Amino acid sequence: MEIETGGIHGIIGTSGAGKSTLLRLMNLLERPDEGSVLFEERDLMRVSERELREARRSIGMIFQQFNLVHNRTVHGNVAAALELARTPKRDRERRITEVLSFVGLEDKVRQYPAQLSGGQKQRVAIARAMASNPKLLLCDEPTSALDPQTTEDLLNTLLHINRTLGVTIVIVTHEMEVVRQICTRVSVMEMGAVVDTFDLPKRSEERVRPNLSYREQILGLVHKEDAQ
Amino acid sequence: MSIERIMEIWAQYHEQIWEAIGQTFYMVGMSTIAAVILGIPLGTLIFVTRPGGMLENRGASVFLNTLVNVIRSFPFLLLVVFMFPLTRLIVGTTIGTTAATIPLAIVAIAGYSRLVEQALVEVPRGVIEAARSMGASRLEIVWKFLYVEARSGLVLGLTTSIVSFISYSTVVGIVGGGGVGDFAIRYGYQRFEMDVTICMIVLMVLLVQIVQVLGSTISRKIDKR
Repeated sequence: MEIETGGIHGIIGTSGAGKSTLLRLMNLLERPDEGSVLFEERDLMRVSERELREARRSIGMIFQQFNLVHNRTVHGNVAAALELARTPKRDRERRITEVLSFVGLEDKVRQYPAQLSGGQKQRVAIARAMASNPKLLLCDEPTSALDPQTTEDLLNTLLHINRTLGVTIVIVTHEMEVVRQICTRVSVMEMGAVVDTFDLPKRSEERVRPNLSYREQILGLVHKEDAQ
Repeated sequence: MSIERIMEIWAQYHEQIWEAIGQTFYMVGMSTIAAVILGIPLGTLIFVTRPGGMLENRGASVFLNTLVNVIRSFPFLLLVVFMFPLTRLIVGTTIGTTAATIPLAIVAIAGYSRLVEQALVEVPRGVIEAARSMGASRLEIVWKFLYVEARSGLVLGLTTSIVSFISYSTVVGIVGGGGVGDFAIRYGYQRFEMDVTICMIVLMVLLVQIVQVLGSTISRKIDKR
């Protein structure tokens, strides 16, 4: 399997198909018994523990359950990522402000995760993952715990990251809609194996779908059914 | 018991009572320090070596768990006597407050390490996973993630531990450890002055209350989850 640089690669399939496991092989959170994981011409299976940790700083990751440190503020969560990336102290504050305003959370800096909504938490997670300027962003069911509107906003954020920063994204999901909206390429998984991979037609507009109100969305669905 | 009687006991024994309080604080304080300095690393080792842990190691895990269980299952009085050789080696004598502190500290370390392990188990696995995905080393995972996320549990566990240290410290009068409990036995019980004993019990209850309220408050204040 190959992930195209600069693309958004979706991995879709039913629960238990092995999507998350496949994703976790990519940064060796899970170590395969055999084979190789090539990232920037290096086989992560063969590098030392230290080199692997270094490579992981160029591979951001976000999760379904956000996995933020609840006893640290939004600021502290992003700062932790920079500490791990050995970013010099004087550059940290600037970088924290930068990534938090990128995800639109500059006014939540001093809040704790428990005070935020699900969508905001996932934004903090994105900011944290982006802090060390990764080239690849792994997303493990990032929208599965979010409502449709928040999902929409989050997908636009991911799209924005991909288009403006050129970050390659791999996104695991069981939601067809997610793939349809942002992916450039899709792999379908069944029972632990990739059974199909294909490209999606390119789209040019920044915002894939307009922000519809609940009223418009629900009525839209009803009309669609009427038409059929 | 009248106020006058309490004043009378105080007038008569205040020097001894102050000394006893000092000894109790010394023993409990030293045990607390030992629990923090050695119990936290021990509990962390037990946590990381467990099956599926970050430093999974069956041998170390079985050894540490057995060690802690054995120490914790000792009746405290027997442990004090059993520890005599080690106490003599460290302090040079087996009687006195400092000597009594050794078995107390051993129990403190073993007991608190269990509570540390439990507090760490409570940290969601996902947090550790996120830390790993950001390239954290094992030490960084423990320092910057586990301890931060488990801190209120660590404080609550230490509070519970200190309360039990206070209770244990009353036993060591047997080896000349002194303390409030010892004073209550020698001046109250053995001299048939029941009211002196009662005064000391009230003093202990107050002490435990203060520790618990303080511990609970701090734990709540630092818990942002």
